[in-house]
Amino acid sequence: MPSANSIAAAGRRAGQGWTIARRSRLAAHLFTLAFLLAWWGYSQTVPAFVLPGPVPVATRLVQFFTTYNLYKHAFASLEHIAAGMAIAFAVGTALALAAHYFPVLRLAVHGRVSPFLNSFSGIGWTLLSIVWFGVNEFTVIFAITVVLTPFAIINMREGLDTLDREMLEMAASFTRNRWREFTRVVAPALLPFVFATLRISFGVSWKVALAAELFGGRTGLGYLFNLAQQNFDVRLILVVIAIIIAFVYGTDRLVFAPLQSRFGRPDAEPAS
Amino acid sequence: MTGRRLSERVIADGVVVAAIAGWWLMSLRLPAFLMPSPLQVAEKVAALFVTPSLLADTAASAARVVVAVVVSAVLGGALALIPYRWPVTEAIVRDRITPFLNSFPSVGWAILAMIWFGTTNAAVLFVEIAILTPFCLINLLEGLKELDGELIEMGASFTRRRGRSFWKIVVPMLLPYVLSAIRIAYGVAWKIALIAELFGVSSGLGYLMLKAQIVSDAAMVYATCFAIVLLFLAGEKLVIDPLSRLVAYK
Repeated sequence: MPSANSIAAAGRRAGQGWTIARRSRLAAHLFTLAFLLAWWGYSQTVPAFVLPGPVPVATRLVQFFTTYNLYKHAFASLEHIAAGMAIAFAVGTALALAAHYFPVLRLAVHGRVSPFLNSFSGIGWTLLSIVWFGVNEFTVIFAITVVLTPFAIINMREGLDTLDREMLEMAASFTRNRWREFTRVVAPALLPFVFATLRISFGVSWKVALAAELFGGRTGLGYLFNLAQQNFDVRLILVVIAIIIAFVYGTDRLVFAPLQSRFGRPDAEPAS
Repeated sequence: MTGRRLSERVIADGVVVAAIAGWWLMSLRLPAFLMPSPLQVAEKVAALFVTPSLLADTAASAARVVVAVVVSAVLGGALALIPYRWPVTEAIVRDRITPFLNSFPSVGWAILAMIWFGTTNAAVLFVEIAILTPFCLINLLEGLKELDGELIEMGASFTRRRGRSFWKIVVPMLLPYVLSAIRIAYGVAWKIALIAELFGVSSGLGYLMLKAQIVSDAAMVYATCFAIVLLFLAGEKLVIDPLSRLVAYK
């Protein structure tokens, strides 16, 4: 979703320079306004427990940021996600490397483990890990990890498959030390894929984390969902959703996109 | 080469056999509500496809997935074409609608749908479509960006009718992207079908799974998970793969 550039390009194509980009951006702001207005208008016609308007949600959002208890849940979610992402990345990369350096394992990893993990539902893992480990943090992290692992395997495999053979040959002619070859040639070539993996994992992990916390956690934003749902507190539900959208989108734009355009392929878009 | 391929196969299938054997050994030591044996689960999976009352749930889930994938492909396509036709709306679709739908948590949709529509079929479909649409939208936006401009120009030089050049040139070039959008949406659909059904309705595999979890029928929880894996693979091999071969051939 990279916008300013592609809009500018579209504008040039249309032969109108930057004016169309500017008009497009203006249209987008108007759209946002219209959306808020429509939300407000509709909320006037239905009871507040069905859809509260933007103003009550905004005031609740402010309350959220001034209450310590609610910070606790936001940080708990972050912790779950960070732990799940780190473990899944380590496991997925290890499996992809194993399949790369020991081709005999290739079918086992890419033909058995990865498709199995990839087609197994995240909610399934959550409910199973509740049965196995009970309702606690471990369950949440376990579910996030298992869901993210195939993403890491698939992405790192793509990176390893596109390694430049000639460059590896050149490296081999310079050193016999495979570790040296790995750190100097292979790892830097993989860096873009590492970022792509982390970016995709981050986008997916939020959704999984919420579901896992909703059913299997006692902390986190997903647990807040659970409480809000029991109390029919739609305001809180919308606040949590708004925070998640802002955080996921903000992190993607402000952290991952710059990192990736610096270290990665410029064309790599998150596929979620 | 054949020797290596053989050992590759042996290891791959060995992993599967070892996993099942390990599972079986664990099921001997652990109580059935924690770790049912592979055989018990296999029986339940079979039941999901044979016993009429259970088959109805399986079919309900499958039907919802198919409808949701088709509707969200159409919706995603329509949204992607708006900025193609009216460039001024580009920022609306790319910078507002796409990121909004894409970062909206699926559980959020599920809970909101339950409050808005109650526990109905429509609620489940709404959730699935809301989650799948951004996947289709992103893919088709990408596809429209990659279209060969020269071919479109050539088309414009042959006919002035935009509709004609759209159907004869843009649509065929777009087909592979439509298909990859459907492929991605289909893969996601089966995973989120459970989330949608856990809240939404009193039919479908998600409903069976939640019911089984409440009464600690672990074998059924396992079985619904595996049934979804099977259904997903069957759909991909029997419908999506042949379709994409057809498109690629053209």
